[in-house]
Amino acid sequence: MLPTTLGPWLDYTINGLVIGNIYALLAVGLALIFGVSHLINFAHGSVYMVGAYIGWLCVTKLALPLPVTFVTVAAGCGLLGAVIERVGLRPLRNAPRIAPLLATIGLSVVLDQSAQLLFSPDPRALPTQLPTWRIAIGGGSIGALDLLIAGVGIGSAGLLYGFLRFTKLGWAVRATALDRDAAQQCGVDVDKVNRTVFAIASALGGVSGLLVGMYYNTIDPNMGFQAGLKGIVAQLIGGVGNVPGAIAGSLLLGLIESYGIALFGTSYRNLFAFVALILILVLRPNGLFARARRLPPEPLTGTFIAPSRPLVLPKWAVWALAAAALALPLVVQQPYLLQTLGNAWLYALLALSLTLVAGTVGQVSLGHAGLLAIGAYASSLLALDAGVPVLLAVPLAGLVAAALGTALVYPAFRLRGHYVSIATLAVGEIVTLVILNWESLTRGPIGVTGIPPLSVAGKPLVSGQWVYWVPLVVLLAFAALQSRLLNSHLGRTLRAIREDDVAARSYGVDLNRYKGLAFAVAGFIAGVGGALMAHFYSYINHETFPAPVSMLALTMVILGGLGNVAGAVLGAAVLVGLPELFRAAAEYRMLIYGVVLLLLIRFRPQGLLGTV
Amino acid sequence: MPEPVLSRRSVLFHTLAGGLALACIAMSGGPAKAAEAAGEPLWFGVSGPLTGPSAQYGAQWKKGFDLALDQINAAGGVKGRPLRYVFEDSQNDPRQSIAIAQKFVADPKILIELGDFSSPASMAASPIYQRAGLVQFGFTNSHPDFTKGGDFIWSNSISQAEEQPNVADFAVTSLKLKRLAVLHLNTDWGRTSKDIFVKAAKERGAEVVATEGYLPDEKDFRSTLVRVREANPDGIVLISYYADGAAIARQLKPVGLNQPVVAVGSVYSPKFLELGGEAVNGVHTRANFFPAEPRPEVQGFVAAYRAKYQEEPDAFSAYAYDAVLVAQRVIEEGGTDRTAIRDAFPRVKDIPSVIFGKATFDPETRRVSGVRNVKLVVKDGAFALWDGSIPAATN
Repeated sequence: MLPTTLGPWLDYTINGLVIGNIYALLAVGLALIFGVSHLINFAHGSVYMVGAYIGWLCVTKLALPLPVTFVTVAAGCGLLGAVIERVGLRPLRNAPRIAPLLATIGLSVVLDQSAQLLFSPDPRALPTQLPTWRIAIGGGSIGALDLLIAGVGIGSAGLLYGFLRFTKLGWAVRATALDRDAAQQCGVDVDKVNRTVFAIASALGGVSGLLVGMYYNTIDPNMGFQAGLKGIVAQLIGGVGNVPGAIAGSLLLGLIESYGIALFGTSYRNLFAFVALILILVLRPNGLFARARRLPPEPLTGTFIAPSRPLVLPKWAVWALAAAALALPLVVQQPYLLQTLGNAWLYALLALSLTLVAGTVGQVSLGHAGLLAIGAYASSLLALDAGVPVLLAVPLAGLVAAALGTALVYPAFRLRGHYVSIATLAVGEIVTLVILNWESLTRGPIGVTGIPPLSVAGKPLVSGQWVYWVPLVVLLAFAALQSRLLNSHLGRTLRAIREDDVAARSYGVDLNRYKGLAFAVAGFIAGVGGALMAHFYSYINHETFPAPVSMLALTMVILGGLGNVAGAVLGAAVLVGLPELFRAAAEYRMLIYGVVLLLLIRFRPQGLLGTV
Repeated sequence: MPEPVLSRRSVLFHTLAGGLALACIAMSGGPAKAAEAAGEPLWFGVSGPLTGPSAQYGAQWKKGFDLALDQINAAGGVKGRPLRYVFEDSQNDPRQSIAIAQKFVADPKILIELGDFSSPASMAASPIYQRAGLVQFGFTNSHPDFTKGGDFIWSNSISQAEEQPNVADFAVTSLKLKRLAVLHLNTDWGRTSKDIFVKAAKERGAEVVATEGYLPDEKDFRSTLVRVREANPDGIVLISYYADGAAIARQLKPVGLNQPVVAVGSVYSPKFLELGGEAVNGVHTRANFFPAEPRPEVQGFVAAYRAKYQEEPDAFSAYAYDAVLVAQRVIEEGGTDRTAIRDAFPRVKDIPSVIFGKATFDPETRRVSGVRNVKLVVKDGAFALWDGSIPAATN
């Protein structure tokens, strides 16, 4: 063992490289797909999980030799990638760019749930057949598997580099990445290119799952989400679509995490990773390893969200629907139904907030659950620790969420397209991690208990009707406000930013101010929503509003039609209601949900009510 | 065979037990010849994760429930009526657990509710059960404030205040470890447990040289363990579940740690051995039950579990099994009236229980105390009773 003070730092460096190595396996595949189809593939983590399970079958059930296992996993996942491209994504090639993104989320739900049904949710051991020798380095050691992972990561990046540079198909891939339409006009079979890229990336993803499963000797159906997230972060640090950059970014991410643990402790690990991501996005939006003068990787004008003709409800119909919704508890007394609809209205607040920033302004946020958490904590702590009456705490929480939310996202205002999504995703994670670690304020992992319910004149509003009426009234008020806003001069300005921010700026629109205004309004609405949830739940902790809630909110918004107020409400009602409707299907219900989601995207990518 | 040592231990989840019929079976060593239950079934509701990231725990619950019901209903059910359950999938999500709560409270056939899994999902639903007057029986809810939700909120989850001092005893008094490093899940359970453990260890004269909290989905612990190594401990304490506990154990050697390991009882699972492989050999734990224990409750559970599922039971299926025994007893005592069922809790005494031996509720805390436990060590890939040997301090 090294007696010097450098000893542990050498170990931290090695550990950072060891874990970075693992991130690299996923980041390379993600970078390849992004490079060609400009798509952040959220299904990549699921392919990785499928690879691990194919490997598990080969190793434990068929007892195949290791090289055969590798070939089988690569072939199986390559095929799966091609199928995903053909069935899930090619039909959407002319849809707005947000549709394939959502399709990958739907695909990952379907894959994860199928694996869970086939193999049970239990984690399983995936023993390695590699030799067990280890090389001592610093105070620790590394094994054969570490070297194999490094070899596969760097080797595959090298092979990909050669493929892209020296083969005809590789040229076609690069041409497609630069300009799909032009490539097609030059006779490139763009579909074939996409299929090839998905197959290669997925084969690599599957092999990564196998290797990582062996590394930790454990695989489970949910292993893909977190791994995919880290892969996405790593490739953004390196620069999206940049294969060598993805490797460098992964190693750097591993080092940042390892040094973060060394300096501040384990519970700060992800906090470090996400803060680093934001810094890099803001300072070097093309990634650390991008060539200085590259074309912006996102188109300048509003092709991210396609225009469509929204379905406009006549005024009398809107009034009639609102009145019917308000009168419902007088007719239906079933508390389960009222609670489910009450939940839907609460989530509709979140969707309303997101549809404003994602739909109207075009800033697709993947961290919106963070606003709920801020609102929930602000209101609970104001009520419990500062003695503020709940009725006042809720709007105050809205203000806190508006201020904090806008301030946190402010650095991302200069970003575009996917970069905004990833930056907001990071902000959402940061909010959760700060709540977890700032114990003196938030009570850390223990959470906040005994949150008082909403009450008027000393009477708690907790019965079945009130859990329905309170959110509904708040929702109707905000929906009316937002509709007016969209029809005003302000709404037109916000949409102008979405359609073409360069043109908007040349007309004298101060982008930051308008984006800030939109985020503030959105933060207020979501903050009030989160506050109401906290007072209904009576207990919250850092796990109450996890990352999947942000995904759910985005799904609601896209399903209803981006920017569409009525669409957000409808989307929330459908997506809160569907899983409840499928309740009888028990274990199958999330699978059904995933399939329904895919079908909706396939046949109505502009959302049920259309983009406004 | 050494006498199993009684003690307690804490877990995130846990349950409680009841069931005279079952006790009869277990104690007579053979099925009592009671008539099979017939007639109108009696129902309890379960709110828990069947899909989503915690689905594996819901799957273990189901095995425990089904096993207990097989035994209960074969022996005449509750006063001749079969006991059944409705399992609603909450995904461990408070939004869904409150909807399920409304569903259960409005359904007159549901006599008592079991679950949910984690604190956010369970405690969000508590006010609904409390107001409607349906007992919420949280058998995995160790959050210190869980039963403070009201007089309809009961739990037989192992209390950390009882469990952690036992773990500290094992580490400090039995294994003579003096400089401990604690790794804990950074959740409400892990955090509460860690605080109580640290206090108990200090009272027993040990020093806690490092504490590290990690997130449940973490897989890489190398840098965390280097931090631990630099604090120069002579023993490592894991406040973990089986999957993360096994992952940590596997990464000890690669960073140069060879110190003895003591883990809380929630690692007790065949999966811990499977996932940990050779690396978990030598890990000490205080489990709440051990298949070789001669107690009739344990034998009745373990033998039947092996016969039904062809695998070894783990702690979570034991909690679920115990919970059904409690439900059976309180329904037997309280009948089909929800308030009478609540009132039955303080009256039912000595419910047979895998985890507690005999479970009796304290009407003040609405919890059970007196958790059993045995000192175990992993030997050659299997849990074995600890033979009193102190591992040689290496390193």
